[in-house]
Amino acid sequence: MSRTTIAAIACWFVCGLALAVEIKDYQTRLEVADDGSAQGSATINVTGAKAGRLRLPVGFAELSDVHIASAPPDVTIEPGKSGRQAFIDVTFPENATAETTLSLTYRVTGVLYVQKPEEGQKSAFPAGSRLLRHAFVNTQETPIGQYRMTVLLPNGHIVHAIREQLPRPGRKEFQPRVELDRFAGRQGAQLQFSGLRQGDRTSMEMEVVEEQRSIFWLLALLPLALGYLFAFRDTVKSQPA
Amino acid sequence: MEKMSLSSKARPAQSGTERWMRYLGFPGGIALFLLILYLPPGAGLSAAAQAGAACFALALVWWVTEPFPTYVTSLVLMFLLLVTRVANDKTIMYVLGMDVIWLNLLAFILSSMLVKVKLAKRMALWLILKFGRKASWALLAFIILHMILAPLIPATAARAVMTLPLIIVVAAIYGATEDTNNNFGRNLLLLNLCCISVLSSMTMTGSAANLIAVGLIQTMTDQRVYYMDWVKVGTPLAIVTILIMWMVGQKLLFRIPQEQQVPQLAGGFGVIEKEYGALGPLNRDEKKAIAIFAVVLAMWMTDVFHMRWFGVEISAPFAALLGAVLALLPRYGVLQWSEAEIPWHLLIFSAGAYAGGLALDDTGAAAWGVKWLFGGFDLKNVPFGVSYTIVIAVMMYSHLLTTSKTVRTIIMIPIVITLAKALGWNPISFALPAALCIDWVVGLPISGKPNVILFSTNQYSVADNFKYGITTCTVGVLLLVLSAMTWFNWIGLTPSFWAVR
Repeated sequence: MSRTTIAAIACWFVCGLALAVEIKDYQTRLEVADDGSAQGSATINVTGAKAGRLRLPVGFAELSDVHIASAPPDVTIEPGKSGRQAFIDVTFPENATAETTLSLTYRVTGVLYVQKPEEGQKSAFPAGSRLLRHAFVNTQETPIGQYRMTVLLPNGHIVHAIREQLPRPGRKEFQPRVELDRFAGRQGAQLQFSGLRQGDRTSMEMEVVEEQRSIFWLLALLPLALGYLFAFRDTVKSQPA
Repeated sequence: MEKMSLSSKARPAQSGTERWMRYLGFPGGIALFLLILYLPPGAGLSAAAQAGAACFALALVWWVTEPFPTYVTSLVLMFLLLVTRVANDKTIMYVLGMDVIWLNLLAFILSSMLVKVKLAKRMALWLILKFGRKASWALLAFIILHMILAPLIPATAARAVMTLPLIIVVAAIYGATEDTNNNFGRNLLLLNLCCISVLSSMTMTGSAANLIAVGLIQTMTDQRVYYMDWVKVGTPLAIVTILIMWMVGQKLLFRIPQEQQVPQLAGGFGVIEKEYGALGPLNRDEKKAIAIFAVVLAMWMTDVFHMRWFGVEISAPFAALLGAVLALLPRYGVLQWSEAEIPWHLLIFSAGAYAGGLALDDTGAAAWGVKWLFGGFDLKNVPFGVSYTIVIAVMMYSHLLTTSKTVRTIIMIPIVITLAKALGWNPISFALPAALCIDWVVGLPISGKPNVILFSTNQYSVADNFKYGITTCTVGVLLLVLSAMTWFNWIGLTPSFWAVR
């Protein structure tokens, strides 16, 4: 192979890398309402955008009221569904800039739900407990640099426990996969995963309960403590020398 | 001296203060449980984590004040973890099958073997005759023993198992038994506890957590930590701390009265010499016990080669299991099952303690607590020494929040490195001294595996452990601060103590 050919291949490879489309940053904020539906707003930052279609996975089965909140002129969107996964097709115009940021809003239902046991099985959750599950798969070939999903729970609700957070953080990852925090006075959780290639998947499942704790423990344990103080008062009576 | 039976009866309260602690401990634990449970949920803390912290706090108060025997508290804790939905029944029950519980059980089989064939008695009498004219020298002999063992056997639990029979018999010679606790026994047990954990920080191979810390430092700072870099700073610190605790323990914390300074056997040293002489030369069973123990010891010392030799790693509990099988072999073994003294009540205590500790780790309560500790300080524009002291103190005392050195290392070392970078200091000047604190898990009987094993002798209380352990950690913090002002600065590990960025 001649030097010229090698140089040409190298040049093509480097140019290809420089021009490769990448979703550098994909952030979604999901405000969950008490009825289990949620208002989502996603912001994506695309580098190397070219004229044509980019199929954006969203990690939900159904979307409605999909709108562009902000985007460069002539960028259009079209929601769709493939199998059990909804997506949004983003179409970039001929004159698309190399780095583009666009924001979308949509509604989803059934984000917070009561898990019904299989027939003949007992429920694994007490009354009042609901589950919130989100699984995101990068179904298209464009890599995603950083994926972040922030979920804000309905007012007066908290996470009882994180039941699933996948994949497990790697040796060089120092952030937990799912982190709980307060966002605008509401408890929420943030799922984060970096470097998603096609087929990579990340998910979280949380059990959500009402913030108000039952007073059962207070009613049960206070009389017990007082009863102990009475019944065992001889413990501290002065002992004969 | 012939027997090392560990009864399940509760330790009697020995002073007025202890009686009051018992009386108020029960409602005190409940009050703390309710307080933590009904606090407004903290940002970043799940309801299960908060409930787990409440359950653990209740158990901790009860373990320290002992309104019930410690194993009953463990059972209460396991029940509370289930009914507050911190963990499910399987997670809680499976703790009884954890490696530390197995190691504890097998340790008692091996110890029973050494006691039955009188090898433990022979070694203890020899140790006393050589070094034990005074209690202080007997204690010093154990320090030297652990300094030799620490670099050879990285598994701290294995070191605890090895020395346990010797410790029990030497304690008995000085009048310290489960029924008659005395200050020599407290010093002996707690000094051994500190030796096992603290001396692991002499080398980077002293524990698996040390190696994880080195890996994190190298990954996050691109700076290599060589074996001798660690030894240079870790070894003097660990040895000086232990020598200080040797003095402080017997002179201040648990003062050894004059009558406990010498062996408590009627007839004094003459009897000991006579008893040692009466043992005669090593008998067949003793030789078998030595051979069995040598096999186990060889397994513990060569664990890094197991994969190459056997294609599988034989972990510390499985090496002990092999030893137990050899000891219990019919005709060729030296022990019968009925002769093995297995204190089940202590295994239940350990299981409950571990279930509580794991719940704190699994629910994220431990990680939240550690981050909250650091988040409370604004360290911008303060001298290096001030930030360093806070980092070291948080790192040292944070072992009270978690039962896993590995979990603590994985949470803390990246935070320390990130903090150092944010403040503009060389990350290694914070991270390496902080890594030296990883093994100092001496504050509570549940802080580490050796702690659980030694606590099972019932010769000291949770409060005694806390007092001795926290003093050790405080001596460590002070020495680390002093080192940063002098030694660490001279070898270029830390900048000037009062430097400001």
